[in-house]
Amino acid sequence: MTKKLTLKRKGKEPEPTNEVAASSEASDNEEEEDLLQAVKDPGEDSTDDEGIDQEYQSDSNDEVEFESDEEGNYLGRKQAGGSSAEDDEESDDEEEEEEEDDDDDSEEEENEDTPSTSKPIPADDKPSSSSSAANKSTTNELPKRDPSKPEYQDSDTSDEEDIRNTVGNIPMHWYDEYKHIGYDWDAKKIVKPQQGDRIDEFLRKIEDPDFWRSVKDPLTGQEVRLTDEDIALIKRITKGRISNEEHDEYAPWIEWFTSEVEKMPIKNVPDHKRSFLPSVSEKKRVSRMVHALKMGWMKTTEEVEREKQAKRGPKFYMLWETDTSREHMRRIHDPVSAPKRDLPGHAESYNPPPEYLFDAKETKEWLKLKDEPHKRKLHFMPQKFKSLREVPAYSRYLRERFLRCLDLYLCPRAKRVKLNIDAEYLIPKLPSPRDLQPFPTVESLVYRGHTDLVRSVSVEPKGEYLVSGSDDKTVKIWEIATGRCIRTIETDEVVRCVAWCPNPKLSIIAVATGNRLLLVNPKVGDKVLVKKTDDLLAEAPKQDVIESERIKVAVQWSTAEADEQEKGVRVVITHFKPIRQVTWHGRGDYLATVMPEGANRSALIHQLSKRRSQIPFSKSKGLIQCVLFHPVKPCFFVATQHNIRIYDLVKQELVKKLLTNSKWISGMSIHPKGDNLLVSTYDKKMLWFDLDLSTKPYQTMRLHRNAVRSVAFHLRYPLFASGSDDQAVIVSHGMVYNDLLQNPLIVPLKKLQTHEKRDEFGVLDVTWHPVQPWVFSTGADCTIRLYT
Amino acid sequence: MDVENGEGQVQVHLKTKQEHYAVPDVPYAIDGTVATVELNTFVNALLQQKDGAVVDFDFLVFDEYLRGRLCDHLREKAISFEDAIEIEYVERFPAPEPQDCLLHDDWVSAVKASGKWILSGCYDNTLNIWTNKGKHILTIPGHTAPIKAVDWISLDEEKGRFVSTSQDQTAMLWQWNVAANSVECVSVCKGHERGVDSVSVSPDGQRFATGSWDTMLKVWSAELEDSAEGTSKRMKESGVRTPKMTLQGHRESISAVQWMDASTLLTGSWDHTLKVWDLSLEGIKTEISTNKSIFDASYSKLNRLILTASADKNLRLYDARTNQGSVVRNTYLGHNAWVQTVMWSTTEEFLFVSGAYDNQNKLWDCRSPKAPLYDLLGHGEKVLDIDWSNPNYIISGGADNSVRIFKSRKAVSDDVEIK
Repeated sequence: MTKKLTLKRKGKEPEPTNEVAASSEASDNEEEEDLLQAVKDPGEDSTDDEGIDQEYQSDSNDEVEFESDEEGNYLGRKQAGGSSAEDDEESDDEEEEEEEDDDDDSEEEENEDTPSTSKPIPADDKPSSSSSAANKSTTNELPKRDPSKPEYQDSDTSDEEDIRNTVGNIPMHWYDEYKHIGYDWDAKKIVKPQQGDRIDEFLRKIEDPDFWRSVKDPLTGQEVRLTDEDIALIKRITKGRISNEEHDEYAPWIEWFTSEVEKMPIKNVPDHKRSFLPSVSEKKRVSRMVHALKMGWMKTTEEVEREKQAKRGPKFYMLWETDTSREHMRRIHDPVSAPKRDLPGHAESYNPPPEYLFDAKETKEWLKLKDEPHKRKLHFMPQKFKSLREVPAYSRYLRERFLRCLDLYLCPRAKRVKLNIDAEYLIPKLPSPRDLQPFPTVESLVYRGHTDLVRSVSVEPKGEYLVSGSDDKTVKIWEIATGRCIRTIETDEVVRCVAWCPNPKLSIIAVATGNRLLLVNPKVGDKVLVKKTDDLLAEAPKQDVIESERIKVAVQWSTAEADEQEKGVRVVITHFKPIRQVTWHGRGDYLATVMPEGANRSALIHQLSKRRSQIPFSKSKGLIQCVLFHPVKPCFFVATQHNIRIYDLVKQELVKKLLTNSKWISGMSIHPKGDNLLVSTYDKKMLWFDLDLSTKPYQTMRLHRNAVRSVAFHLRYPLFASGSDDQAVIVSHGMVYNDLLQNPLIVPLKKLQTHEKRDEFGVLDVTWHPVQPWVFSTGADCTIRLYT
Repeated sequence: MDVENGEGQVQVHLKTKQEHYAVPDVPYAIDGTVATVELNTFVNALLQQKDGAVVDFDFLVFDEYLRGRLCDHLREKAISFEDAIEIEYVERFPAPEPQDCLLHDDWVSAVKASGKWILSGCYDNTLNIWTNKGKHILTIPGHTAPIKAVDWISLDEEKGRFVSTSQDQTAMLWQWNVAANSVECVSVCKGHERGVDSVSVSPDGQRFATGSWDTMLKVWSAELEDSAEGTSKRMKESGVRTPKMTLQGHRESISAVQWMDASTLLTGSWDHTLKVWDLSLEGIKTEISTNKSIFDASYSKLNRLILTASADKNLRLYDARTNQGSVVRNTYLGHNAWVQTVMWSTTEEFLFVSGAYDNQNKLWDCRSPKAPLYDLLGHGEKVLDIDWSNPNYIISGGADNSVRIFKSRKAVSDDVEIK
């Protein structure tokens, strides 16, 4: 043990002596004896553990611990043991005996351990074997070794040790209970020597001068007296010196092989020629290798080494990678995430706010649905508990876990492709309004003079004058440029609609007032035209066709009375019901009127030149709202409340039915080219129909906040305007391309809101100047406004 | 940095074209924050007039009127503060003062002054002659529709001749005997197919041109005896006159006609174009496209520039001589509604007046595009026509049935000097 200790210390620690000294000092303190440090010291090593029985197995570990432990730790443990030893001397004595036992035990065990535990020292190490030999000699009759003799003269095998106890390498405390300690070669029990108590030992200590050098052999239980040589050896070892006394550390150095380089050859024979001629075979080999290297078949040692290094060296894995590369690394490529569960709400709380608790009615309802629990809004009844402790076990727990498992199991494994579409992308690229000029932007003129809401407005084809019809039973003609009211024509009833004849060769305004449709000569503009129109309207052409009774009942044509002639009224067409709308055909010969109350005779077409009326429809398809002539084709648009029907007037058949999907149509306007129709509805929408495209709206515009009353296309500019009850006129760009593949471009441009609100009405009619990009609007505030 | 804030000094040279107000031409370092008022006191201090009279000046920095602080002006024009800045000062044009209000029975759509007489055309189809002192001389009925334009042909002590156009599609040539205070219609010019919106008499008084809603420009003889060939005897007897020349080119109503010289006509139309016609060639010489309908155009013989009033709030300055670069030389923003009428001063190179639907007349200097020199208030309704033919008086007629006369004071003083 000691040997080993010292050996180890020699190997590992630079100043072993110091430590030994320290530990021995500690042991001195404990034992209060002037014992030789070197001898007592190793004993202390193991005895300090009181629970040696338990610790025995792990003794070697202890040793390691000792070595690795800091000194302070070690000392501390010793002191603790020391204090207990001081307290009880008797026990101390016993302990000492035990100690000695243990000493031997540990020593032997150490010897046996050496090969297994302490690797650096080989089993057949010389010092170890010598020590065992020494041990043997000590335990035996201590045969004096002749220093002159070689050490291992008798035998140099450590195997043939003098083994007197055959029990082998077992924990010797197993024999604590017995009187014997093992068996000798003859299978006889080795009897434990007489164990004296502490007093005996103390006495022995006092009496026996050699007590300090007596050591207990754990195998035999015999006391062994160390010889002087042993002690000297121990001393040498503890001092870190070579154990062999005879070894001269300071013997002169004999240089068996010189370190100097000989300059001259030792031998006199010159080198053979091939020693300096390059070898052909070598050359071939080298060239082969060079070729192999060039071709990459062979690798240089450096490269191989590098590869090896790379293979052997630490491999680094990226813990945090970018999102994109991570997906490649993942073994599961597109994991299907578990279906999410709903988060618990307030009702789930053990202490829900009172509004979540069921009242009587709710409870009753909840209970009523007992048979069909899936119909309940909540599958449980929210309950209030004073504390979380009082919440009872949840009866549905298992079921819910099961359902959750079902959810997970049945969750669709199909990968859901999520489309990430930028909202901006969906918005069509519209040109900036600035590029779409000219369009009206400001209110320029207000035409004041009416005293009640102005229902309708119409512009002279040349663009110099304006006519308006109002609820104050007047029709006014205005000069557009100055806002001057040129003429006022009074009528008997509310003027529902005015329409200037689109034919520039005629000077006629159609005025729908009450049941009568008045054809008025405004007497403005070209005097020749005015005269011609007067002549034309003065006399009725001969009626060559006898009209049917049905028409006769509905419509009567008559020349105006003298007093009305004064005002400019030339022809009066009396209808049987109030007229709501009048509209001209583009050439100015035909005009159509609408009487919403007229049932199957609510739409009428009048021919001016022949003073004839027609009732185009025999059956009522609904409440007719407005009618319109196609600008170029012989088509007739009839808008009922929900739909628009297009009739061919020549073939007399229904061409198309446009589905507006709106509740109530208020007006319509056709693009001058005739392929696009704008429809305004009372449900705040404007519908753009591409007549070639579909019977459904090409676009639905919800620009207004209230019922849209009127829409109008500009004749020349790609503009349209809409007037609504929210007092706004909205001007939009509506470009129709000649290219049939290109859809119309619609860009809302400007909201013009200067009309005042009166009686829930805002703008009642809008119309465009025929030439300029100017829009007129009439409002419930008795004004007509011009926006430029 | 200080200068940028207007705190620093700016080197200026003060110059003037009016010799009696000249100051020594030495550079003065003045503060950047100065405005017109401070400069005025400064120049007046330099002048040290004997009688202590203070003259009001306006200051031109780089051909534009200084309005507000000098530093702001320089910054706006991107002129370095380090250079010596030339400031030209001119005696401020005195404010015209309202002198009279001539009440009519209806809207006054046309006014023209000549000498001390004012001719006005009214929406009640009558012409009226007034003195500039506000005395009503004559009411002339004759037209059957509102008068749209009037112009004097000639005027002397005994006789005056003028032409009026109306929405009844005719222009009427009148001769007025001043002494007898009687007027006779020399002839009725028939030929237009719609209302005649504008008229202008040639500088030599031989011809006049009319522009109409029928898009035609017609040139008529203004002689008492129409010597045009081909007119029938009957027509001559009835006093009906036919056009000497009909020029077609505009697509919309011609709203403004003015003679530029003896054989050149300027027209402005609702079809967004200004056209310069050469009468000897009977064709279009120059065409300027604008983007608004033109309501009125005025050409100045002094600076050869054209001003237009169009269907917006701006007045625009055009130069018919160039086609390069930006056509609009300047834009004058100040009115709040359509500008209906505009006219250059006949004596002052840079001044012009305008009347608009915001019931205001404005007197402008063409070097001051941001703000007018003066607002001539008084009208209670839309201004329909303005005239500054007599340099002493700015006359405007409006929809409030009145003609307002504003006396231009400077001209008066000039007159006094001449006398």
